[in-house]
Amino acid sequence: MSTIPRIRVAEVHKRFGPLEVLRGVSFDVHRGNVVSVIGASGSGKSTLLRCVNYLERPNAGEVYLEGEPLGSRLDANGRRRPRSLAEINSLRRELGVVFQQYNLWPHMTVLGNVVEAPIRVRKLRRDEAMAIGEDCLRRVQLIDKADEYPARLSGGQQQRAAIARALAMRPKAMLFDEPTSSLDPELTDEVLGVMRELAADGTTMIVVTHEMAFAREVSDRVIFLHDGLIEEEGPPKVLFEAATSERLRKFLAKYRK
Amino acid sequence: MSDSLKQALDLSLFWEYHGILLQGLVFNALVFLCAAVLALSVGLGAALMRVNHFFPTRLIGTLHVELFRNAPDYVMLVWVHFVLPLLIGIVIKRRVEFHPFVSAVIALGLVYSGYFAETFRAGIEAIPLGNLDAARSFGMSERLILWRIMLPQVVRRMLPEALNQFVSLFKDTTIVSLIAVPDLMYSVSMVTQQEMRPLPLYTGAALTYFLIILIFASGVRAFSERWRRKILA
Repeated sequence: MSTIPRIRVAEVHKRFGPLEVLRGVSFDVHRGNVVSVIGASGSGKSTLLRCVNYLERPNAGEVYLEGEPLGSRLDANGRRRPRSLAEINSLRRELGVVFQQYNLWPHMTVLGNVVEAPIRVRKLRRDEAMAIGEDCLRRVQLIDKADEYPARLSGGQQQRAAIARALAMRPKAMLFDEPTSSLDPELTDEVLGVMRELAADGTTMIVVTHEMAFAREVSDRVIFLHDGLIEEEGPPKVLFEAATSERLRKFLAKYRK
Repeated sequence: MSDSLKQALDLSLFWEYHGILLQGLVFNALVFLCAAVLALSVGLGAALMRVNHFFPTRLIGTLHVELFRNAPDYVMLVWVHFVLPLLIGIVIKRRVEFHPFVSAVIALGLVYSGYFAETFRAGIEAIPLGNLDAARSFGMSERLILWRIMLPQVVRRMLPEALNQFVSLFKDTTIVSLIAVPDLMYSVSMVTQQEMRPLPLYTGAALTYFLIILIFASGVRAFSERWRRKILA
């Protein structure tokens, strides 16, 4: 196993006004690993994920992508300088994000959504991007909807399109922010199915989720966040069967009903 | 009585002068097009300032909107045509005069930039924030986000309201005859003075404007509805 983790989150703090949402969170994600983040609403899960690609800038601490700090760099004199937005942009495109609300661009077709960033950000030729885009849509079994507009798709289809859109950038890791929380139960499975396949293909993933069965089955490691701190973490088998934290046991009990 | 009524509706006189009147109409169209381009670009700029995070920028945007939305277009036109050249002349120490066409375009362009800024702003604020988060997460630059993600949605959302504003801008181009821009209405009054028969000319002018706006507006509406419906569930 390589010594440099794909993603390292180190002592990340995030405040919104007087409210300290993250109070020093650290963990590593190694290549090909799936890390699930669970916890009650308000525990800071989504903020944590948004900090990983600097959609929220941490107030303290740092995120490293293959050893490279996202928020700062060394200048010619060897001093640490905060990165400009353009520099952050060139790093964050290496991370694919899938949001709870899908966030597809409504004025573009499904394929248009998928090829937009590869063409405009990665500067791929149109035909190259189209080939990759169609390939990604096949992976999420949505190739027959390539020319539809998002408004005509079900929630599950929209979320699969959003996954294809993120995959088309060939990211170094995928970040999922409660990807099934807006979906009806019968549409949840099609999205989780796609995510299972990604995990089996060796995709590096961080998944914020309320789907305990999924987290338990797919994750290499599970993190239980409480009140902006990691309360307990470990392999899913240990966390789900032999939790030491009283809070985690209570939290899990709610999902067993 | 019936004589004068007949005269009012007798459009043969209007037709007799159609060459001159058509030229006037072309002038209306030119003022409209130039003022619309000015209003749209300044309006977009002001709208972007109004949604900026930085308070002084926001304030300038707001002042712009309030200043031009609340100025009557006639007053604005006279001010731009007679006062603005004087002020500029004092600053650059040379005599300045605006061609009436230029004054008309600046005045109408500025007044309507205030309205368009508000329309743009409503369109920008209606875009779900997650849409922009997604764009940022792919490392898109702010400029790319504006042109590829925001504006195409804003334009679709604001079309119905913008269409109304274009119609009223086109109607407002008729006030430029007040500063001797040779538009349709100006030509009508010139011919009226020669012929001493104003009624058929005014009826003709009214009908002309009515038909042009009706055809133009329903054309745009039919086109834009089909285009908009695709993206709205």
